[in-house]
Amino acid sequence: MLKVLRQASLGVVSALALTTAALANPYEEYAGETLIVNFPAHPHFDAVMKILPEFTKETGIEVEVDQLPYLKMRERQTLELAQDEGEYDLIAYVVFSKADYVYADQLENLARYFMNPKLADPAYDADDLIDGYVYNIGFAGGNKGYLEGKTGSLFGIPYGSETSVLGYRKDIFDKHGLKVPETYEELLEIACKIPELEPGMGGLSSRAASGHHASHAFLLHLAPLGGRIFDDQWNPIVNNEAGVQAANALKTIVECGPEGAASFGFGEALGSFLNGDTAMFLDTTVVAGQINDPAKSQVVGKVGWAMHPMGVRRGSQTGGFGIGIPKNAENKEAAFLLMQWLTSKHGDKLVAMQGGNPSRFSTHADPDVNEKFPHMATFGEALKHADPDWRPIIPVWGKINADLGTTLSKVLTEDLDVQEALDGVAERTKAVMDEAGYYTWQ
Amino acid sequence: MRAQTLNRATPYMFMAPAAIIMAIALLYPLGYMIYGSFRDWNPSQSIGESEFVGLKNYITLFFDPAFRESLSVTLTFAFAVVVAEMVIGVGLALLLDRNIRGMSVLRTLFILPMMIAPVVVGLMWRYMYHPTVGTFNTTLKSWGFDGIDWLGQNALLSVIIADVWQWTPFIFILALAALQSLPRSALEAARIDGATAWQQIIHIKLPLMMPVLIVTGLLRLIDAFKVLEVILVMTEGGPGLSTEIVALRISRTATEFRELGVAAAMSNYLLMLLLLLTVAMFAITRLQEARAQRAARQIQED
Repeated sequence: MLKVLRQASLGVVSALALTTAALANPYEEYAGETLIVNFPAHPHFDAVMKILPEFTKETGIEVEVDQLPYLKMRERQTLELAQDEGEYDLIAYVVFSKADYVYADQLENLARYFMNPKLADPAYDADDLIDGYVYNIGFAGGNKGYLEGKTGSLFGIPYGSETSVLGYRKDIFDKHGLKVPETYEELLEIACKIPELEPGMGGLSSRAASGHHASHAFLLHLAPLGGRIFDDQWNPIVNNEAGVQAANALKTIVECGPEGAASFGFGEALGSFLNGDTAMFLDTTVVAGQINDPAKSQVVGKVGWAMHPMGVRRGSQTGGFGIGIPKNAENKEAAFLLMQWLTSKHGDKLVAMQGGNPSRFSTHADPDVNEKFPHMATFGEALKHADPDWRPIIPVWGKINADLGTTLSKVLTEDLDVQEALDGVAERTKAVMDEAGYYTWQ
Repeated sequence: MRAQTLNRATPYMFMAPAAIIMAIALLYPLGYMIYGSFRDWNPSQSIGESEFVGLKNYITLFFDPAFRESLSVTLTFAFAVVVAEMVIGVGLALLLDRNIRGMSVLRTLFILPMMIAPVVVGLMWRYMYHPTVGTFNTTLKSWGFDGIDWLGQNALLSVIIADVWQWTPFIFILALAALQSLPRSALEAARIDGATAWQQIIHIKLPLMMPVLIVTGLLRLIDAFKVLEVILVMTEGGPGLSTEIVALRISRTATEFRELGVAAAMSNYLLMLLLLLTVAMFAITRLQEARAQRAARQIQED
């Protein structure tokens, strides 16, 4: 009898709980809708795929994912966003697409959604999102048009954001009593010492192939060494002393790097570190998962992580992806709910536990996450120094980037003089900027 | 009167479906490209929103050193591969134009490279050229030589080798087909007159194969001007711009620089160049045919 009573009361309590939950369920109105989202094929978004069923379970909103290689994704989005009615409700975009999409008025301003009390979760805690990324990936219309500032507003939320850290071989460093480099001087010195100490091993593997790769590698060094592509008046200053220093740093790294380093793309550079052909790797945080995966890596357990070395300042890269709602989306409100859920403390921790890149300070400090991924604390520290202005995010950047990358490749392979090369880049950049109207007010 | 008009119109009506399909499938995209090349057009705009800029795209390109460099890379690449492929392909065909045991198996083997998807070819060669773990350098090193920096210092040559490997079989099978359809009587007559093998090749086989070889060479040349995937995968145009052929530059201009108008203008330059080459090639063939006819007539008159 007592047992029956207990069971009955349990039933009543759970039924009550269900009704209250249903009453307070902000997702109810949208349950049963199907969102179509466009994500890249990328380790972070592979982790996202694993947590999406959880979202559907909690909210009743179905999610269909169109996962594409990230360069292909950009082409697809460009076509899709220009339609009157788009297919996608939510898109992940690369940082440099922000300028194009916002300028073409194709992304929703998120203010309307965060103002809507039925949609915005009061516990969201936006201040916990990593500042540099929010400005870098989500903001438009602020300082210089692409940074934070009083005139800016939010068009997307960083998701799958990356910064640069230094990975080094603990075993090699211990064996030769080397100190983990903290400054650029030390970095370059050790990079060239390694091949002497460990014959056949390269110092630091870097991307250097013509085009985007070489340019990316150069920019990684430019910010910490105190350089920029433009001054505040949009005049190219890439050929100043800091620029020359950064290009020379890249040259030294490639010369002391593994054999054939001058034609390495990201894949080869990472591959040579995973194979144990180099002692250091200075690039994005997204590789941590692969380095710890015995199927892909021969250096599992041998890699330590440190901050991106300092030049005259700290300045690690800001990259990766953001998520935004296209202007021509069909289910914008449900898309916002998904976006908010993914980037909430809850969602951010879930994706981090699956091996994704968290976007919140709190997730980087979370004990569970740190227990599973001990490097997370270093990554979190590095994020504080992530420089949102390490490369300009303007519509003509693609062209300037390509020129910079091919010219640097000539420096690396054809012995073009560094100063002469950068002077050429600056001159051509000036012409591109002039044509795009950046000097209208001068 | 009506019946007469109708009669006269009949053949055109029969042709109409084909002509209409042709116009839609060929002229429409071509017209679109030409129209687009006069506009300042980025992919986030519809073509209607873009601004008309006249010949600006063409003029900018004409003075653009990067485009010129990529044009010269394309010309070097195209002529180098076509010459190499013609020599090797025709040579192989001459060597293998006989009854050897297992010939059909050999022939199939020879044309295998052609059947492989270009992206796979690119990847395969890229790994074979890899500076440390690639087949070539490991072999060279095991023989005691220094490794060669294939895709660095010798990128264009490496790309040419890969293309020659892939497309020589195309020339080979066409040349072999041409050889086997040559009139046996001419060859027999030559043999009876005591012509050596070399003389047969130079004075009989090659001249008789010439029409086929010209068309084959032309097809390869047109294709070589448009090759994209293999180079994209192998070098992405680098180092510097040393392997950035026009097709690759067009693709980068459209996707990376987001300048569809300029990309369209570049495609038109390429189209004009190819048209010019084709016309020149056919003019040469015509000229040769005319000369041959004149010679034949002279022989008859004598």
